[in-house]
Amino acid sequence: MNEESRNWKKTLGAIADSFGQPLVAVLISLLLGAVVIMICGENVFTAYGAMIRGAFGNEFYLNDTLKRATPIIMGGLAVCIAWRSGYEAMGGEGQMILGAFCSALVAYYLPLPGFVRLLLAMLAAVVVGAAYSALSAWLYDKFEVTFIISTLMLNYIANYFASYMTNFVVKDPEALDINAVQTGKIAAEAQLSAITPGSVHWGFVLALVAVLIAYFVFKKTTFGYKSRMGGLNAKFALYGGINARRMLYIVLLISGALAGLGGAFEALGSKYRYIDQMIFTTGYAWSGMVAALLANFNPIGTAVASILLAGLSTGGSAMQRSTIIPVEVCNMIEGIITLLMSVKLLRIAQRNHKARKVLREG
Amino acid sequence: MGIEYLASVFNTILRQTAPILLVALCAGVCSKVKVFNIALEGTLLTSAFFAFLTQYFLRNILLSVLVAMGVAMLLTFIMSFFIVKLNGQPMIVGMAINTFSLGFTTFMLSMIFDTKGTVTITGENAGLPKIALPVIKDIPVLSTMFTNLTAIDYAAFLLAIVMYIIMYKTVIGFRLRAIGINQSAASSLGINVARNQIIATTLSGAMIGLAGCLLSLGSVTLFIQNISSARGYVALAANNLCQGHPIGALLSSLLFGFTQALARVLQNTAIKQQLLECIPYIATIAAMAVYNAIARRRAKAAKL
Repeated sequence: MNEESRNWKKTLGAIADSFGQPLVAVLISLLLGAVVIMICGENVFTAYGAMIRGAFGNEFYLNDTLKRATPIIMGGLAVCIAWRSGYEAMGGEGQMILGAFCSALVAYYLPLPGFVRLLLAMLAAVVVGAAYSALSAWLYDKFEVTFIISTLMLNYIANYFASYMTNFVVKDPEALDINAVQTGKIAAEAQLSAITPGSVHWGFVLALVAVLIAYFVFKKTTFGYKSRMGGLNAKFALYGGINARRMLYIVLLISGALAGLGGAFEALGSKYRYIDQMIFTTGYAWSGMVAALLANFNPIGTAVASILLAGLSTGGSAMQRSTIIPVEVCNMIEGIITLLMSVKLLRIAQRNHKARKVLREG
Repeated sequence: MGIEYLASVFNTILRQTAPILLVALCAGVCSKVKVFNIALEGTLLTSAFFAFLTQYFLRNILLSVLVAMGVAMLLTFIMSFFIVKLNGQPMIVGMAINTFSLGFTTFMLSMIFDTKGTVTITGENAGLPKIALPVIKDIPVLSTMFTNLTAIDYAAFLLAIVMYIIMYKTVIGFRLRAIGINQSAASSLGINVARNQIIATTLSGAMIGLAGCLLSLGSVTLFIQNISSARGYVALAANNLCQGHPIGALLSSLLFGFTQALARVLQNTAIKQQLLECIPYIATIAAMAVYNAIARRRAKAAKL
């Protein structure tokens, strides 16, 4: 075998590695989903047809999917930057909740011109998200409280706190429905407006910009390299002149800021207010995590996976409307995708294949 | 505040502690054999659902408990198989099972009961039978302290002692701990590491099943979406505090049971529900921080 064909093979292998695994995982999960649909007594093609149409079928649905994808992309980026540095933080949900809540309040209450209010609202979300994330970094740094426990607990605390505030302190004074637990509606001039009437809001564009910046920073800057080293091997990083402790805070601050901003996009561009439980029940942060895993923490891949996962749930809602299948089947599919992504499926298949070959050929 | 009231608070603490303790004991076994299990939450939720489902349709409490244990063991088996045999990343495997469980239970709830809200079982013998201790039930304060407890509540506390004996006083326990301390040394002693890891975690998963029964068939006989509400994670924290020691798990679970009980006891005060719900979560973080700070200081003192 000459050098050229070996290189060619290597490239093919790399492509199979980065695309093959997610593809196989998604296919198997959809197959299992099909089994569930059949057990429920529905036609698989009708159900999945309704799902695809409801996700990408026409301009209206497509915009709906992109709208939903926006916070997922931001949550995914937040996971990318933290996890690739070795900090398995899962606080995106809490940061998103506080980001959405604070931005909704700033945009509603501040007596300033609309555009200034909008900017300040997003700034508030960035600050709050980053601060909440830094809290978990501080707990890790000072007290060695593992991220998994601190971030999960902080998620619940954030949700209950926002719920308390929306219920009793900043409840919408003009709500028609007395039972609606939400903050007041943000005036049109302080909203993240649609790009063209009826289309997705500017938050989606901003999210894509964030994706490109993240891609550039990860690939092309020393910061991208340093942040990775700090988490992978703190001692080695120290040897190379990288302050791992400082990196921990920087990485977690950025991660929290991104998640907080994702919450702000949802509040300012989609719901125009904070509604109790609006981040908690939709699972944006978790979908973001799945997207980041599917893409192996590549920002561009994360964006693509986020749009697909958003499609899975907008499509799932459409399926729920036209069949008896509840939308939660999509959470099940998402869970199975994650489970299959946790192992190197193709590597294992390859290994087994090689082992069998060795056995056969003695 | 009368002594009867304090006795009833004590009773609430016991009832809140039992499920956390059972899950923490399972987490303890998993951490001793170095299988990092965060699928506890989803496993707890799913087994609570199946306990409820079986009881709802068949009204056979023994069968319900067995089904819950079986389901919990199955999920724990899947978890450890993916981690041990397929080299999956433990965090991701666990989160996958938790995501799936939440989706699955809600899906089943709406397919079977046509609701995403609360489903209850009513009538006689709806849940686990309450056990009245022979002598204690006639003593005023003591009877309040131990009222309305089920066999599984008592079993939880007994299991802590049983697990201690198994892990620290038997050959099996010694082998399992050897795996956790040094895998290659254990395997050179002729211990099949992977098989032992999977068997030990799977069997310990049965305890999560018991905890699930307590949630949906214990003091209340109902199922709501996400009924486990992070108890699995709290148990993980409890296990973290005691480094997998069963008696330590008993103590740390009591601490978290106390905070959960506190949230319930304060319900009739002016403090709003949403803020009370935060107490257990804040306490969990605080307890871990304090514990680690003390442990670090001690380690420093030992060095000097």
